[in-house]
Amino acid sequence: MSISPPPNPDEGFGKPVRPRRRWDPVVKVTHWSIVTAIIANALFTEEGSGAHIWVGYALAAILALRLLWGLIGPAEARFSAFLPSPRRALAHLRDIRVGKKEVHRSHNPLGALMVYAIWSMLGVIIASGIAVAEPPSTAFLDRAERSGDVSPQLVVEQGDHDDDDVPEGAGGEDSVWEEVHETAVNLLYILIALHVAGVAFETRRSGREILLAMLPGRA
Amino acid sequence: MQERRRSLERRAVATTFLVVLQSVAAIFFIADVAGDIAADGWNMHLLVETGATVALLAGVGFGALQLRLLILRARLDETAVAAARGAMSDLVRQRFLDWQLTAAEADVALFALKGFDAAEIAHLRGAAAGTIRAQLARIYAKAGVHSQVGLIALMVEDLVDGDAIKPAEAKPQGNNG
Repeated sequence: MSISPPPNPDEGFGKPVRPRRRWDPVVKVTHWSIVTAIIANALFTEEGSGAHIWVGYALAAILALRLLWGLIGPAEARFSAFLPSPRRALAHLRDIRVGKKEVHRSHNPLGALMVYAIWSMLGVIIASGIAVAEPPSTAFLDRAERSGDVSPQLVVEQGDHDDDDVPEGAGGEDSVWEEVHETAVNLLYILIALHVAGVAFETRRSGREILLAMLPGRA
Repeated sequence: MQERRRSLERRAVATTFLVVLQSVAAIFFIADVAGDIAADGWNMHLLVETGATVALLAGVGFGALQLRLLILRARLDETAVAAARGAMSDLVRQRFLDWQLTAAEADVALFALKGFDAAEIAHLRGAAAGTIRAQLARIYAKAGVHSQVGLIALMVEDLVDGDAIKPAEAKPQGNNG
């Protein structure tokens, strides 16, 4: 972060540019798109419905874009700016204990671990979701149209698997993926709660900057 | 300057939404093609569809690169302006000291540098236009210039390196001639 010269109150050259933490529009838009997708699939779409699967694919695309941005984006959005490091995370915990405040250009070391945890969990959720809904096909859109939003054949098929007349092999595999999907989603909720708590804590500790940095209007 | 940076930022945000939309569209096609291949195997139609999908993906990649340039340019613009502003402030303060301007004269000189004329400065400072004109005359005398333009030019002269700007501008013409 560049350090600007101290302000000269006696001169009429406008406000000095203060160093500030900020995220570029790609980080902001992908962050809030993923929030929207998670809320949509958690609360509004029927499990296994066309809409649910479609939102899942969109989430996968946005996550992929954010990961691409981690390679080619501006310095603070790159993986190299917030590599996962338990050692630095512990050092950060010590800083918190002694009340030392350090300005981080990118995620703070604890935040970085959370970012990777959430991304990996999203990866598991997406992979297991695709495994359950296979084969990947846009047919789910037609299905959704035909029978409204309510879970179409897919759910019926899965219901069949649970019945006794299906050999255990195939049905078992599917339900394993379902199990993985549901467990990962529940873990994701825990991670999100921790993430929000972490941001709230850091906001109280070092000011609103961290919160404002992710809101629109400060690109 | 501020306006230009803001327009760069607005363009970056708009491009971001476009790239996000493109990525979502790309994944839709990928899922579609993968599903079709899984169901029916390869055929001509799918080959073309795969090509279109790859092109779309390339579009996402180039869009992202373009976006990065846009964001970096906006930031460079900001730092350049901030650096120039700092340098300009230093220079002006230094010159005002050199010329031994009084506090009131320095105030008036600053307005003059910003392009206000005597009547406007009088209005801004709540003084009589005659007083301001007299102060301006003293400022010009101390700076050794004869007009407001001269005063401004004195500052700009030290900041703009003509040789640094010329080659970039002159070269294409040289090649043509």
